[in-house]
Amino acid sequence: MTTRSTKALSALGAALMVAAAPAMAAGPDADARIRELERKLERSMQMIESLQGEVQTLKAAKAGEAPAAAAAAATAVNAEQSAKIENLERQVAQLGSGLSARGTDDGVGLHGFADVGLSRSGENNPVYGRGNKGFNLGSFDLYLTPKFGTNVRSLIELVFEVDRTGAVNTDLERLQVGYAFNDGVTAWLGRFHTPYGYWNTAYHHGAQIQTSVLRPRFLDFEDKGGILPAHTTGAWATGTFHLGVGKLGYDAYLGNASHIDAGGTLDMKMAGDAKYRTMGGVNAWYSPKALSALRLGVHGLRGTVEADAGNASPGLTRLNMYGGYGVFLDDDWEALAEYYRFDNTNLTGGTGSHQSSAWYAQLGRSFGSFTPYGRIERTSLDQADNYFAQQANGRSYNRSVIGLRYEVDPKSALKVELNRTKKKDLGAGVADDGYNEAYIQYSIRF
Amino acid sequence: MRAHRKPVSLLAAGLLILGVAPAALAEVVVIANPATQVAATDVEEIFLGEKQFAGSTKLVPVDNGPQQEAFLGKVLKLDSNKYNSKWAKKSFREGLNPPAVKSGDAEVIDYVKRTPGAIGYVASAPTGVTVVQKY
Repeated sequence: MTTRSTKALSALGAALMVAAAPAMAAGPDADARIRELERKLERSMQMIESLQGEVQTLKAAKAGEAPAAAAAAATAVNAEQSAKIENLERQVAQLGSGLSARGTDDGVGLHGFADVGLSRSGENNPVYGRGNKGFNLGSFDLYLTPKFGTNVRSLIELVFEVDRTGAVNTDLERLQVGYAFNDGVTAWLGRFHTPYGYWNTAYHHGAQIQTSVLRPRFLDFEDKGGILPAHTTGAWATGTFHLGVGKLGYDAYLGNASHIDAGGTLDMKMAGDAKYRTMGGVNAWYSPKALSALRLGVHGLRGTVEADAGNASPGLTRLNMYGGYGVFLDDDWEALAEYYRFDNTNLTGGTGSHQSSAWYAQLGRSFGSFTPYGRIERTSLDQADNYFAQQANGRSYNRSVIGLRYEVDPKSALKVELNRTKKKDLGAGVADDGYNEAYIQYSIRF
Repeated sequence: MRAHRKPVSLLAAGLLILGVAPAALAEVVVIANPATQVAATDVEEIFLGEKQFAGSTKLVPVDNGPQQEAFLGKVLKLDSNKYNSKWAKKSFREGLNPPAVKSGDAEVIDYVKRTPGAIGYVASAPTGVTVVQKY
């Protein structure tokens, strides 16, 4: 279009020049004609300038229109492509969510432990006599960790166990509902594992996650030889503070005070009590940033425990336990040690206060899938202390344990364990009972 | 036949390099929801359940199935067995659930973008999220 306009103007100019040439070659009266031609030429030049101006204007307008149109077209294409990509991403994400290996926070986490095995024990049991051997079932532990909201937590644990008579017992091991305010405070209500020391909350019924077959005897469950309330029904606050040099954690709890039932077993009174008494404690620990595998803690537990009627000496005892512990757990080494000191006061018999102690130390080292380990346990329990005297398992003992753990796969372990135990303080004229035990345990988690 | 051996060997070497090098050099980019303030030094504790809040915001870490091995090795210095074992103990003791596992970068990015407190990791830095750290 532009080229055509320029050509037209050039042709018009050439025509005018041709038209003017004959006039220049005419006679003396041609002046008037020449002036007339000059006027025509001037008007033609004005017309040419006018047309050139219009052509320039059109050129400028055309030059401005092209980028704007191109930009508009590109924007439209980009928007369309972005929408398509976003839609594709959403479809892939939706497809992916269906393939996710684990559920979201809205789901119900179901986990558990189970263990089976065989054992041979030479213990002289007051009820069943000396010795027990054969294949046995350990426990089948199911726990759920459903979530109801951003800050609400819950933990529900159900345990099926086979007792010495072969009967299956069911226990609502934990039923706790909590609210996490922040890293520093999570408050729980319900029945929970009493947070003293390390072992009781770290492993409890989780046979597969503890290195050994047996727990330290004095930390065993109330009906299995333990001398402390392994469970509490009440309220529990726990949290961790992230300091620059490490982490500081705590537990503070208050609940129903245990009784010693007529069978000599600690009863946590999870339905309350007509003569309500409380039991409470604290646990504080520190883990340095430079050595995060290490945890050092102190703990204490205080409450009034009643030995119910039916015991040889019913009455009240002020339980006052305190102590400390150290744990080192890295990829290769496992070292655990806990110390418990008792300074109990007899409130009924007026025999004053009595000091006792219990401790264990365990060391293990992993070599690939194998972990050999050993543990020693020592207790010195004052039998003038009604708290121990009335408990069926309140006698002092020494135990030495060696074992070997083999990781069959990441979720199952095979363990072989031997121990030598000597029970003391069995009564006037009753000799100490020394015996050996052997265990094979196959444990899983899921 | 002999003439073909060298090119075949070179091709095999090339394929080997192509197959191994990306895994060894793969980048892991930790990303967070734009409204969530997360420090690079907190990433390990967040994915092990030791740190659960950023201010008043509940943190929601998510794992990325295809990138998990690289992330665990580079950032947490763990293999998946030890990682799962730590979470089993944590879950039993404290009632926490381990991070949900997403199927890939697209799902992680989508989840992190729309979930306050979410933190995840992907192979390359996307737009629309906060890049916490590249490893």
